[in-house]
Amino acid sequence: MRIMRWLIVLGLVAAGGLYVMARPKPLSAAAVADLTGDPVHGEQVFWAAGCASCHMADKAEGAAQLVLSGGQRFPSDFGTFIAPNISQDPEHGIGNWTLLDLANAITRGVNPEGEHLYPALPYASYAKMQMQDVADLYAFLKTLPADPTPSQPHELGFPFNLRESLGLWKLMFLTDSWALPGNLTPTATRGRYIAEALAHCGECHTPRNLLGGLDTARWLGGAPNPSGDGKIPNITPGKLKWSAADIVQYLTTGFTPEFDSVGGHMAHVVENMARLPETDRQAVAEYLLAVPSVE
Amino acid sequence: MRFMLMVAAASAVCATVAIAEEEDHFADAVETRHGLMLQMATEMGKVGAMSKDEAPYDAAVASKAAANIAAIASVLSMDQFPAGSEYQKATDSFALPAIWTAQDDFLKKVADLNTAAATFQTAAGTDLDSLKAGMAGIGGACAACHKVYRQPEE
Repeated sequence: MRIMRWLIVLGLVAAGGLYVMARPKPLSAAAVADLTGDPVHGEQVFWAAGCASCHMADKAEGAAQLVLSGGQRFPSDFGTFIAPNISQDPEHGIGNWTLLDLANAITRGVNPEGEHLYPALPYASYAKMQMQDVADLYAFLKTLPADPTPSQPHELGFPFNLRESLGLWKLMFLTDSWALPGNLTPTATRGRYIAEALAHCGECHTPRNLLGGLDTARWLGGAPNPSGDGKIPNITPGKLKWSAADIVQYLTTGFTPEFDSVGGHMAHVVENMARLPETDRQAVAEYLLAVPSVE
Repeated sequence: MRFMLMVAAASAVCATVAIAEEEDHFADAVETRHGLMLQMATEMGKVGAMSKDEAPYDAAVASKAAANIAAIASVLSMDQFPAGSEYQKATDSFALPAIWTAQDDFLKKVADLNTAAATFQTAAGTDLDSLKAGMAGIGGACAACHKVYRQPEE
């Protein structure tokens, strides 16, 4: 009986410890205190990070891609995520956010109310962003229009609708280390930053475990499409036998080496990559060729 | 009873034939559009090899390929996309139903492709730098349609 009591106490302590460990961990204000954003470079960060592809209205084209009114639906094993309005509208968008708020959201997955955000926002990748890039992005977002479309709640079942549980997910799956670690050439290092931190290639091209964590041992090795339709390809050298020139051409024009053309969600990625300097696409190509082969 | 069975069997056969005929009905359209796309890829391959510096720039070859691309683009219409010849309804089709529910937009993207092909025809015959710079425009026109109207392959 006394042992039972001790076990209960121990359990409560453990639960309490877990609760504390799983709490949202925002940045300190000092992290962004001295930064001044450059909106011109911020636009490059914006396209490289693919913000518009998910946060613009469904099928938006041209200038409408800069109206980040949200509403696109992203089905997954855990329910359907609906991209929120991140336009400059102070009420329905993020017009009132400070730079620190944005940095917390995209690099820590914590909203200004101090709650966990769902990793459908790829903060597991953006966590590796340089703070200067976040500041530049913030400055660019400030130049974009406000839109009054209200954000829709995600459609998630129990227990995935409990944001508290995301703290444990973060403990298990957030990492500071690169998927392709070690010293790379300067070009491949730039490519790694674009591919792993900004363009978040791994979020779709790497398979996930049952809890939705990335299986980094099979980095970029292909995965089921979360929409349930088809498969997202293996883009490691084990499967993708493309030259650097082939990869650059694909990311610039959407043409595969067989001159088929890109389609589906990847067409958004190519549109984004095509807006970057040629050197950035070459950097991504060099990085992809350095990734370990997955058969 | 035997009569009923015969009737049932006969209607089953009729139904099967009807489905087969329905599929055959779309087979020509699906084969035609796939053929057009494959020829498009062949022509793109000629200019694409030059853009990747895998083949020497030849203004005459590039011009002819780009002219063929424009010609193929001009053929594209709803003729190759009869209603119902869609993914999971017609054999080998990857055409998404939105082609018919948003037909005006689909045809606008075909028109955009024709515009892009005309621009590319000029660029391809000018010099290698112009050809290279023009690739993204024609590729973007292909992707604009495939982004929303083609089911991605496995």
